[in-house]
Amino acid sequence: MNDNIQTPATPPPLNPVKNEPLPENLGIRELFEALLRRPAELARHKVTEGRSALTGFGIIAVVSILVFGFVLGTFAYGDQLWAAPVKLGGGMLFAGLICFPSLYIFSSLAGSSASAAKMGGLLAGMLALAGLLLLGFAPALWIFAQGTSSFGFMGFLSIAAWLVALAFGYKFLRTALRETGATQSAPLMIWVSIFLLVTLQLSTSLRPILGSSDDFLTTEKKFFLQHWGDTIDESLSSATKVTAEKTDSGTTPSPGRGEQQNPFNN
Amino acid sequence: MQDLLSPTPETLAAPSVKEMGRGAIVIVLGFALYGFTVGYWRSPVMGVFVAVKMPLLIALTLGCNGLLNGLLGILLGSGLGFRQSLHALLSAFAISALILGAVAPVTLFLAVNVPSADSSQAASAHSAYLLTHTFLIALAGLTGVMRLGKLLESYSSSRVIARSTLAAWIAGNAFLGMQFSWILRPFFGSPGLKVAFLREDPMKGSFYEAVWSSAKRILEGIPPEALVGIAGGGSLILIFIYQIRTDRKKRKP
Repeated sequence: MNDNIQTPATPPPLNPVKNEPLPENLGIRELFEALLRRPAELARHKVTEGRSALTGFGIIAVVSILVFGFVLGTFAYGDQLWAAPVKLGGGMLFAGLICFPSLYIFSSLAGSSASAAKMGGLLAGMLALAGLLLLGFAPALWIFAQGTSSFGFMGFLSIAAWLVALAFGYKFLRTALRETGATQSAPLMIWVSIFLLVTLQLSTSLRPILGSSDDFLTTEKKFFLQHWGDTIDESLSSATKVTAEKTDSGTTPSPGRGEQQNPFNN
Repeated sequence: MQDLLSPTPETLAAPSVKEMGRGAIVIVLGFALYGFTVGYWRSPVMGVFVAVKMPLLIALTLGCNGLLNGLLGILLGSGLGFRQSLHALLSAFAISALILGAVAPVTLFLAVNVPSADSSQAASAHSAYLLTHTFLIALAGLTGVMRLGKLLESYSSSRVIARSTLAAWIAGNAFLGMQFSWILRPFFGSPGLKVAFLREDPMKGSFYEAVWSSAKRILEGIPPEALVGIAGGGSLILIFIYQIRTDRKKRKP
């Protein structure tokens, strides 16, 4: 009797969630896709326990950070074109290596049952994701590196890009570790704070990264907060000095120069 | 035209090259037309320069931030890929371009009728001109952003995801767009400065440093007590607004 009544067809979802499992073997392209779109499934996949994930993620991370380093090197040019990528790439690997034992312990405290091999794969994944984001920021940073001569401003931009990249890397790691049984987030939060402190200190220990110097590395030891404080002081005092000199000379800025400096009047 | 002004989530699901190309053409035409009227007041040559530079500004911003926009679209969970992110942003800019292109005859009328750049009233005319165009650009930009927000909300699985994606895109593109607008200056053509496609050494300095030094120059004459007072007053107003919003939320059943 109701044969003629037709139920309206449900339209297909606009934003379909992929339900098919990840393929058995993942190449760099598939790893890249899974890292961005399906981190939880990637964490469950056996590929993260093997060497292929470590190599694949390692390549993505290293290439991305080298390109980012090269972009920062264009701030000073000269030797920094190769020195900055080497320092950033080396620094990233060094930070990953020295923080790996603590990651294993803290993730175990959080309830994760992942093996050391899997944890290595996930850490490489986190660094790869952070590296990809830095690669995304690279064109914008290059534009600023060509314009500004302020170390403080360029340093601020670089650190801001690193903080955003690390935030997404942390999000990936948290999602991945939940898949391995982690139930608490506090230990992971502590670990990522340690990792962040290490990378920030490396930005000071490996200096100069932005500026140029005759020496590849400095021998002067400094805490990163002290170094940043000194840099900001120098930037502000040099700006004040320029203003004071202008006032002392008694010259008023010419209309042309004044208008050039006004960002809204162009 | 209607589908350009009100893009549907269906078009976002599988954007074709043709659709994206159409959006790009609308952006170029709309911004070029409007740009011509912006520069025309200073001189017709300036109008041609700005007609080239305005679409170039959009292209450079989207081109440089393409990878970042795509990554943020994916990582924030909007479900948009690189191509879809580009299409969504092109749609938003196309809406702004349509609005600005549509008001271009009016702004051309304005450019023809306000006191010329070499007259004695040039300074006040320039200020009024600047203010009018700032308002129009803000209006067009805001409309584009609001439509983009709606598009993202209808496509994404949650409003929070849509809003965070929108916020991330706006922050990234606005930050870089400001710098490109600094590099590509002049747009309005100050009466005292000569007509040029770019200023001498356009890459030197940055928009944000210029804002910083301008702010310093303004604040130099103000005593620190007044600054503290302004900051305190501003904070109190913000707290007051926050309280009202919280009370309203509490009253809702």
